[in-house]
Amino acid sequence: MNEREALFQHLSAACGGHGSPTGKPLPGAAPVAPESDRVALFAKTFAAAGGVLLRGTVEKALSDLGEHLRAEGVTALFFPEDDTAAREIAEALVPFGPFNLTTVADVRGGDAAGTAGFRTAEAAIAETGTIVETSAFGRTLLPGLMADVHVSIVPAASLVARMEEALASVTADPPRNISFLSGPSRTGDIEQTLTVGAHGPRKAIALLLG
Amino acid sequence: MELNANAFGRNARKALLDKKLQGALGRATERFQTHRDAAIAEFPEFEATRERASRIKRDVLDHLDTYLARFIEEAEKRGAIVHVARNAAQAREIAARIARDEGVTLAVKSKSMASEEISLNEALQGAGVTVVESDLGEYIVQLAGETPSHIIAPAVHKTREEISRLFERHLGEPRTDSIPELVGMARKHLRGKFLSAGMGVSGGNFLVADTGSVVPVTNEGNGRMGTVLPRVHLAVVGIEKVIPRMADLPTFLRLLPRSATGQAISSYVSIVTGTRRAGDPEGPDRMHILLLDCGRSAILEGKYREVLKCLRCGACLNTCPVYQSVGGHAYGWVYSGPIGAVLTPLLVGLPEAAALPDASTLCGACADVCPVKIPLPDFLLELRSDVREQGLKTPGEIAAMKGYARVMQRAGLLEAIERIAGVLGQFFSKGKGIGGLPYPFSGWTERRDFPAPAARPFRKQWKIKRGARG
Repeated sequence: MNEREALFQHLSAACGGHGSPTGKPLPGAAPVAPESDRVALFAKTFAAAGGVLLRGTVEKALSDLGEHLRAEGVTALFFPEDDTAAREIAEALVPFGPFNLTTVADVRGGDAAGTAGFRTAEAAIAETGTIVETSAFGRTLLPGLMADVHVSIVPAASLVARMEEALASVTADPPRNISFLSGPSRTGDIEQTLTVGAHGPRKAIALLLG
Repeated sequence: MELNANAFGRNARKALLDKKLQGALGRATERFQTHRDAAIAEFPEFEATRERASRIKRDVLDHLDTYLARFIEEAEKRGAIVHVARNAAQAREIAARIARDEGVTLAVKSKSMASEEISLNEALQGAGVTVVESDLGEYIVQLAGETPSHIIAPAVHKTREEISRLFERHLGEPRTDSIPELVGMARKHLRGKFLSAGMGVSGGNFLVADTGSVVPVTNEGNGRMGTVLPRVHLAVVGIEKVIPRMADLPTFLRLLPRSATGQAISSYVSIVTGTRRAGDPEGPDRMHILLLDCGRSAILEGKYREVLKCLRCGACLNTCPVYQSVGGHAYGWVYSGPIGAVLTPLLVGLPEAAALPDASTLCGACADVCPVKIPLPDFLLELRSDVREQGLKTPGEIAAMKGYARVMQRAGLLEAIERIAGVLGQFFSKGKGIGGLPYPFSGWTERRDFPAPAARPFRKQWKIKRGARG
């Protein structure tokens, strides 16, 4: 008998006599919220998580975005090759600062200092102020992983109220990586002082479109 | 981690005399508590969610064989290699073999309490692997050659001056008293490690049975980096971490960060399932999941099985008056606070940690905050009985408790003792507190005066008051 069989024999003895497992998840209270409520809640929760939410006209958003990136010392912008929305925003942003465009491939091997990574979010969750990014369809995770500043493009239609809704579509066949990103990377490990940019982005920006 | 739980008394005394630690502990636990309380106050569904989580976890424990089998099946279906270790020695052997077979020389590790149980780092080092802790607090503690003092804040006992000195010595960085600069230094050094490491080692806050996913939760993003960048991912997780369905995950994600740090959600939740798929630009080619029994199945059989519901949030530590005073090191092993006082004796054996169930005032604060409703005070009390039954109390203690019980059962005897104590107490203390009692009572007066027994005992006063009224 190998270790696994031994363990299961032990477990079955310890678990015996408790009937069959609960079949279905207990229903959670999850009222469907209208889109305007979801947007208002997301604005609140994303800010509470330390993120910066930009809305309104594209011109205004670009100018605000440029200011944020310059303030963080960003000099290079990158985005997934096949992410049209991210590409358009990044390219339109070049005149707003001394920014160069770089590629995911270039970032992959380096330390990504001074970069902003752009990417369209698969979903956003109003309940928690969360950006959802996955590796489904071969999408890259580097913009939200390596960059100093992460810019998420969030189509309003992709905004869901609760975590359950964001997970429902991926449960049948989950991609290798599903990430919930809520605000910047942070640590309180030195003297309990909240400090951003421990490993991931120092700043998390969401651009809500539509 | 080396076990030193029975030295609780000695360790606690040392901690109480450490002024710097006392300051840091007080600030940290108060901060965590304030944030936790505020987060719960803003979350009206807390009670309902807590009840739900507790019920899901109980269902898991009742059918751990079924759910764990499902988890393994789903994880293997998606390319993960699942290993099972019955004890720490086996776990170390498996981890070392994985590292050797995969040709790993550098590993980046994110926080995992389970890995501390089995002394994973030593095992990997024995296999020729350099292991770098990537959680900032753990990294600091590792550079200092120490052990973590808090589940959530491992380096809570260190000041920025000490950390800057460490970074100067080990990383060649200039001295600074700026915390953001210190964080930046660690970021730069650890980023290099993430990019060159052959293996990322993580724990897992949850194992999802219906998808075979491992879910590490971090604020720094190190858990995410270590599970995305290196070519091998090793997750070391206790078997009790399994939850039935992906649909159950939100319930637990609503409780864990709020209870731990007072956040509505942690910055990073990674749900990782199997190896990278064809066409994925990132993700490990190999994923190993090392499931630890290490005493858990034995707990499952007994009366303490509900302790296996624990999410490792640390809320019971922060609220515990004993933990607030003595900190994590005093508990002499991986787990501290009320959960440590229960879990450690159960995992390592009662004789090895018989002192821990006494490390509690039984005030009940831990049960009030526990997000999965573990009856910690009941368990502490029950463990004390076990200690007695297994003959692990000293004859002196047993005699004292027997004497106490005998007195409490006889009202007349109690009254007589109270009267004598009142007279003697007033005589010796001259109305003030009593200091410097002789051994074995010296513990009571070592750090404060013992209040003198009242000249007129409570029961006497009660009788007089009632007489006057009636």
